[in-house]
Amino acid sequence: MDAIVALSDWLYLLLNGLAGRSWLLDTIVSLPLDNALVKAGPIGACFVYAWWSGRDEAETRRRRAALLVTMASLVFVMAATKSLGDAVFQPRPYVHAHQAWHVQEGRLVETPRLAYREPLNGQVRARTASLKRGEIDRNDLASFPSDHAGFFFALALGIFFASRRAGAVALAWTGAAILLPRIITGMHSPLDIAAGAAIGAAVLLALRFAARGARRWALEPLAGWTLRHEALAAALLFFVAYESANVLTNVRDLAGTGEEIVDHVGGS
Amino acid sequence: MSAGAEALRRLTPMLFALALAGCGKLDQEAMVLTVEPGWTAELVASEKDGFGSPDGLLWADGTLYVADEGGSAVRAWRPGTRPAILADARAGLASPEDLVRDSAGNTYFTDDTRGGLWRTDRSGVTAALVEPGRGLPSTEGLGLSPGGDLIVGDAPGHRILKASPDGSLSVLIGPEKRISKPESFAFDGAGNLYIADNRDNLLYLLTTDGRLRRIVADRKGFSPETLHFAGGTLFITDSDNGKLYRYTPDEGLNVIALFGGSLANVQGIAADDEGSLYLSVQSHLEGRKGYILKLSRKVSPSP
Repeated sequence: MDAIVALSDWLYLLLNGLAGRSWLLDTIVSLPLDNALVKAGPIGACFVYAWWSGRDEAETRRRRAALLVTMASLVFVMAATKSLGDAVFQPRPYVHAHQAWHVQEGRLVETPRLAYREPLNGQVRARTASLKRGEIDRNDLASFPSDHAGFFFALALGIFFASRRAGAVALAWTGAAILLPRIITGMHSPLDIAAGAAIGAAVLLALRFAARGARRWALEPLAGWTLRHEALAAALLFFVAYESANVLTNVRDLAGTGEEIVDHVGGS
Repeated sequence: MSAGAEALRRLTPMLFALALAGCGKLDQEAMVLTVEPGWTAELVASEKDGFGSPDGLLWADGTLYVADEGGSAVRAWRPGTRPAILADARAGLASPEDLVRDSAGNTYFTDDTRGGLWRTDRSGVTAALVEPGRGLPSTEGLGLSPGGDLIVGDAPGHRILKASPDGSLSVLIGPEKRISKPESFAFDGAGNLYIADNRDNLLYLLTTDGRLRRIVADRKGFSPETLHFAGGTLFITDSDNGKLYRYTPDEGLNVIALFGGSLANVQGIAADDEGSLYLSVQSHLEGRKGYILKLSRKVSPSP
């Protein structure tokens, strides 16, 4: 494991070494972090392409069944990455650059600092400035595993299972435009990304395996329903594509608001 | 399935297992990150040293007094020794919350499960000074006024009460002032009272002329848990956000340190005679796990 961590650190230092040299490069690299359209728009487009591009009804039905399983898997992927993130505390690379102590064998020991090159523009620059003032969300200190890696890798892989052409584009965009900038800007280490992607793939594959038994009585009828009710299915697809661009943020916010309402009504 | 997809299918479980296997090695459990330069942090005690899950802290005469909420006890601890029990469940304690000590050596504490106001006298006898049945079903913050009165936070009643050492009660701030949960108190050197409301995330100041005003409000990421005034500075822990703040009227609110992982639930605070800060952390209240940390200012080497 030490070798993997060392490799991850080496790769992080190599990639983060690109940051902080050019305002233009940092701005371009930061775009997918700052802008949901740039981040997830192409993935949503690939999803919609795969949804509609079957050569005949049988292929369209098969593709939609694969995409429906993918959509369901995203909820489990987020739950898995969040649960593991709660259990394992691994600071973000840009947090690792500050003076800190960690618990080791019952003692607090000073954590070796990780070199960090700050981007000259973008969201991460603002975050590092907030960190220097201590104005950072407690949930934002740690980064293992990357939920973006889990979510988008599962989504792109699911698209790949439905349509090789669209999936290849989605996987390439996920790697180059969504995940790589997260390492360059110090949001995540390569290990965070690898673990997130592994979780995303594992959950998707497990759900695809489990869905085999439900293909005849659930998936195929559901895919058939989307063919019979194209307009309504397209409207629902809009919601999915929109929320995918935000990594289920709005759904999670809604769940939080629901909890607040329950607490308020319960008077706690 | 294509060869590439098949290879991915085979590789993924291995990567997943590797990620999980690596977690033990990766997991730093927790961290303290100092935002303000010049501080060092150390872990001075944990449940392994005889504490449960500590909450309120008080430093007096070289001893740290601990309201051990998870351990249902009030303990006295001199660093380097095992903690002594001042009072525990046998005296009726359930979840001791906050504590103060008067000049005569009596220790007073609140209990947010049992309620009431409790006293352990110099001879070690513990009894309720104000029974929970007298309108105090759950008590939170506790302060000792310069005049020797006890200031008690009544969360269910949204009130702050004043109790004299003989147990008589009066209302200092009633529910009409809308202090939702008076979690902690601290007097400054001039006798003004700082009040933490950690439900509405507000810091109040009650001045000696009786005026009550909000001095920190609508601040994102601020929920005051415990207040401690020392050396002209108000120190504030924030268990919701894992932060330690300092506040002065001139400089306002500034973050000293951030706490993450199992150290994030930072609760009580007390300063020793050298100005070092002791902090209690509840990592798992029901599991009776927690830490006591010490933050000290680095001493600059002599030129």
